[in-house]
Amino acid sequence: MSALIDSLAIEARLPADDHVEVRRRAHKMLLKHGFPDIKTEAWKYTSLRVLEKRAFSDHLPGSNVLPELPFAATVLHFDNGLLNANDLNLPDGVTLEPQSGAQLDAVDHGDRAGAFGWLNLARFEQAWQLRIEGQLEQPLVLVISTAEDFHGDVHPRLAIELAAGAKAQIIEVHGDCGEGLVNIVQDIVLEQSANLHHLISRQSAQSAWIQRSHVKVAGDADYRFHTLDRGGRLTRHDLAVHLTASGAHAEIDGTVLVNDRQHVDFHTAIDHEVGHTNSRESFRILADGSGVGVFNGRIHIQRGADDSHSDLNTANLLLSEAARINAKPELEIYAEEVTASHGATIGQLEDQALFYLRSRGIPADQASALLKQGFAAAPFENIESGPVRDWLLGVLNNVI
Amino acid sequence: MLKINNLKVAVNGKEILKGLDLEVGPGELHAIMGPNGSGKSTLGYALAGRDGYDITDGSVEFEGQDLSELEPEERAAAGLFLAFQYPVEIPGVNNAYFLRAALNAQRKARGEEEVDSMTFLKTVRESIKTLKMDEGLLKRAVNEGFSGGEKKRNEIVQMAVLQPKLAILDETDSGLDIDALKLVAEGINGLRDGKRSFVVITHYQRLLDYLTPDRVHVLSDGRIVESGGKELSHRLEAEGYAFLEESAA
Repeated sequence: MSALIDSLAIEARLPADDHVEVRRRAHKMLLKHGFPDIKTEAWKYTSLRVLEKRAFSDHLPGSNVLPELPFAATVLHFDNGLLNANDLNLPDGVTLEPQSGAQLDAVDHGDRAGAFGWLNLARFEQAWQLRIEGQLEQPLVLVISTAEDFHGDVHPRLAIELAAGAKAQIIEVHGDCGEGLVNIVQDIVLEQSANLHHLISRQSAQSAWIQRSHVKVAGDADYRFHTLDRGGRLTRHDLAVHLTASGAHAEIDGTVLVNDRQHVDFHTAIDHEVGHTNSRESFRILADGSGVGVFNGRIHIQRGADDSHSDLNTANLLLSEAARINAKPELEIYAEEVTASHGATIGQLEDQALFYLRSRGIPADQASALLKQGFAAAPFENIESGPVRDWLLGVLNNVI
Repeated sequence: MLKINNLKVAVNGKEILKGLDLEVGPGELHAIMGPNGSGKSTLGYALAGRDGYDITDGSVEFEGQDLSELEPEERAAAGLFLAFQYPVEIPGVNNAYFLRAALNAQRKARGEEEVDSMTFLKTVRESIKTLKMDEGLLKRAVNEGFSGGEKKRNEIVQMAVLQPKLAILDETDSGLDIDALKLVAEGINGLRDGKRSFVVITHYQRLLDYLTPDRVHVLSDGRIVESGGKELSHRLEAEGYAFLEESAA
C-alpha cells in the first residue's frame, strides 16, 4: 500500500498554512495505520488497486458547467472540488466560514479504516463550516464536479450545523469526467429538534469518490438521507449516524446502480446511543455488466438505549452473471425493550412480471427497464412529492 | 379469428395439451370449462406466448397468422389479450403509466399514432367507472396491495383500454363475490360489438349466467371432449364433471 502513500501522502504534499500542526498529526496517523486493504474488515470487498496505478497531478482550477436543476435552489459549486466563496448569495440564516483550528484539532478518524479521513485532514484545500438557522425555503445544492482533464486529488472538507429547530434540505450533486480522486469529509450536526433532508445524486466516471459523512442527531431532531448512486469506477461512502438524545430519529434510503466495471461500496452505521431513538433504513443495489455493489448496514443499539426501534432492509437485483453484490445487515443490540428487524434479499427480475408486461404489448427491453425502474425507485417513494422527487426519478429513469 | 388445430403443448417436458382443436369466429364468445388440471390455464399461457409453454405439435392461427412465430408483445399488438388468473404485482410501476405505455407500445407496433395523456385518461376513467373501481388505484403500483377482486377488475380495465380483437379470460370469475362478478360480466358484455371475440375459461357455470356464450366446450386431459350450446354448462353444473368419465368409459 506504499504506492498510495507515495502518490497521495508524501510529506511534501502537505499544504503549508495555519493548520500545519493539525495536518502533521493527521499525516502521522495515516502513516501509522496505512491505507486499508482487503484484509481490513470494513474494506473486504473494495480494493484500492485501481488507485495504486495512478499518478495524481497537482490541482487544476476547474471550469465545469453547472447542471441544470428544475427547481429553485441556492447553489454552491465546488468546481474541481474547490468552492469559490466570493460571489455567494446565501439566504438569511445561512453562514459559511472556514473551520476553526480548534474544530480541526478535535477530529478523530480512528484506525486504518479511517485512512481517507486522515488523508483529508492532512491535505484538505478548504475546510468550510456551514451553519443554518431557521427554516430554509429553498434547497441548498452542493455541486461537486470534476473536469475531463482532472487527474488530481482533491479533499473537500465541510461541516454542516443545523441550529436548534432549523429545517433544511441539502442536495449534493456529484459528477465527474476526470480520472482523479475526490475525497470528501463531512461532519453534520443537528441540534435539538432540527430537521435535515440530505440527498445525494452521484454519477462518476473514472475518478474515485471516497466520502465520509459523520452525523450527530440531537433530541427530537430528524435526519433523512437519500442517495441515488449511478455508479463509478470506484466509489466508497461511509455514513455514520449517531442518535445522541431521546427522540432523535434517522432514516436512510438509497439506490445504487452499477454496470460495466463499476464498483460502489456503501457502509452505513446507525448508532443508538440512548433510549427512545428510532431509525429506519432501506437500501437497494442493481448490479449489471460486471459491476460490483457493496452494502454494509450496521445498527448498533448501545447498552441502556432501551425503547429504541430500528428497521433495516436491503433488497438487491443481480442483472447479469458477471455482476456481484455483497449485502450485509449487521445488528448489535445491547439494550432492552428494543424492536429491531432486518432483512436482506438478492434476486433477479421475475419472469412472471416480465411476461405480464410483455403480454400487454410492452417489448422485452422496455419491460425489463420498467421493472428495474420500479425496483430502483422504491427508496424514493417517501420523498415528499414535488419537483425534487420528480427530478430524482427523472435522473433515475434516464440511466435505466 | 382463432383456429387451433391438434395443439400439443408441453410444460417442463410434460405434455399438458394433447391435441386440442378449437375455432372461434369473429364476434363469438366461447366458454371453456373443465376440471382442475385439465389444461385450461396452459391454453391461455400458450396462446399468449409464455416462455416454457412449448408448442410441440399442431398449429395456432390468429387472423391467418401463425401465433407461434410471434413474441408475446407482438401477439398483444396483433390484438390478443390474456386476462390472468393471478394478475401479477409490479412494485414501483404506476398503474396508469404502465397502461399508457402498453397502449402506446401496441399502437407504435401497429404504426399508429400514440395517444395523448388527456384522451388516455378519459378512456381509463370511463372503464374504471363502469367497473365501480376507485380511481385512486390508477396512481398505485400495478396490482400492488389490490384486493383479489380489484386485481380481477383491473384486468378488465386493461382489456377495455387496450381494445383487443380476441380476449382470453382465464378464470376471471374465481374469487369474485356476486356483485363483482356482475360488474366483470358487464365489462365483458360492454365490449361485445359483433367483431371482438372472447374465450372465457372458467371452472364454474356462474359467470355464464351473465354472459351469452355462443359455444361451450369441455376440456379434459388436454383435449376438448365435448362441445355444445349454453345448455352444456347447465348440465355440467348439475352433474359435475363425472359424466366425462362415463362417456370416456
